[in-house]
Amino acid sequence: MAERCAVLGGGQTHHRRVRDDVSIAGMLREAAERALADADMDWSDVDAVVTGKAPDPFEGIMMPELYLTDALGGTGKPNIRVHTAGSVGGSTAVVASHLISSGVHERVLTISWEKQSEGDTTWGLSGGRSGGTGAGGAFAPYMLRYRENSGAPENTGFRVALKDRRNALKNEYAHLKLANLTEEAIKESPLLWYPVHRLESCPTSDGAACMILGNEKAARAHSKPVAWVRGTAVRSELGQFPGRDPVDPQAGRDCAADVYRQAGISDPRKDLDCVECYVPFSWYEPMWLENLHLAPKNEGWKLTMEGVTELDGDLPLNMSGGVLSTNPIGASGMLRFLEASMQVRGVAGEHQVDGASLALGHAYGGNAQYFAMWVVGSDPD
Amino acid sequence: MDRPSENFTLALKYKRTLGPVVGAFLTGLRDGRLVGIKTAEGRVLCPPLEYDPANGQRTGELVDLPDNGTVESWSWVSEPQRKHPLERPFAFATIRIDGADSALVHAVDAGSRDVMAAGLRVKAQYAEERTGRMRDLECFVPIA
Repeated sequence: MAERCAVLGGGQTHHRRVRDDVSIAGMLREAAERALADADMDWSDVDAVVTGKAPDPFEGIMMPELYLTDALGGTGKPNIRVHTAGSVGGSTAVVASHLISSGVHERVLTISWEKQSEGDTTWGLSGGRSGGTGAGGAFAPYMLRYRENSGAPENTGFRVALKDRRNALKNEYAHLKLANLTEEAIKESPLLWYPVHRLESCPTSDGAACMILGNEKAARAHSKPVAWVRGTAVRSELGQFPGRDPVDPQAGRDCAADVYRQAGISDPRKDLDCVECYVPFSWYEPMWLENLHLAPKNEGWKLTMEGVTELDGDLPLNMSGGVLSTNPIGASGMLRFLEASMQVRGVAGEHQVDGASLALGHAYGGNAQYFAMWVVGSDPD
Repeated sequence: MDRPSENFTLALKYKRTLGPVVGAFLTGLRDGRLVGIKTAEGRVLCPPLEYDPANGQRTGELVDLPDNGTVESWSWVSEPQRKHPLERPFAFATIRIDGADSALVHAVDAGSRDVMAAGLRVKAQYAEERTGRMRDLECFVPIA
């Protein structure tokens, strides 16, 4: 019988374009010390450390988890590194949860990060070749195809951006805080990759996110509310193959179905109280709503336009302001998982969804081909 | 026939933010002095680290250290390569700076392998032009 696993504490950095006030190690400590304090733990209480970040060429330090061992209190403990491109923050948390659910460890610290200001991400993404299009250029054709297939109105994207940017104003840690925006201002912002405007795109951020996971014994001993991990799933598919649907990838559909099954969710649209998912460009909200079985094919945009995904809507999505507001790539997936846990613990502050008891955290990466998800609840089952 | 051409240097310049501890160490080298740091237990680490490898605790107060130290172990490099710190034969050595409880790795310009021994007393030799980088500390030399 698998052990139960719960989030005992979480922490993140103040995310900014450039965190030149701290070293990489210092930046990770900022998130980790907040998470340990939240979990009422010290470094000596941690059994193992699980680290994730996007590809090493982003900062130009190969296997940085080795030099970070000191900073993460990892001397003499298992240190595991996870690599799954943009989804890594999510799959890192999943790996950490398995160290608990398998009964191997009682308390695990898991952390993900990126310090984009120390390198050139587009160059790193292109494997060292110049002339790469970056993520926006790669995803724009999928978003355009979604818009054309679904018949969604042009301002669906603007509406998503407006919502996420308003939510970010309520999140003390968010990077971009753009007040007094309008749909018109988003439409008037420079067109980066048709159909995506600048204000519909994620920023470039430095930051880290950390969580302390524990088994049932540790969770019951904790004085604060915990988030019980009700299901975890990862799926991958090739980035290109004949017949692949990059707008609605099968790996994403399968991953969601698996995590819902584990959590005992039969109708995710009705059962989930909120969703924090990886939306780096506005149109990914309606696309993922469909991929996550939360809306019928080609109808995800209707939830956006009807206000269902607003913070006070029936199914709030990206309460934290999302990747559109904060994007330290390697940490972006973990920030989604962390936000889901904060919601069901009731500690999300101004961006708390009233009474949230079941939440989905979602991350994706590569050419929309790697997926990681978890469902967390305020009750163990 | 002349073909049009233009020289092009492909470069990617990574930037490193050093933080308050490693930054202080390299600033010290630029000024021609060694800096260490005290751990919570009162050990002195040189080079200084932001976090104590023994227990992950944040380290404390920066301390100035003298230029003298003692070789703890060494390995002779009889045929230096292009990227080695010295062009003539030298030793890589772990050197415990006086007042420190940990050792740093650096080159010792000993002249001859016969000079090298654990316990050899050495002194830091700084580059004339210093820019706040590790190579500001050119090498160590035996104290006569």
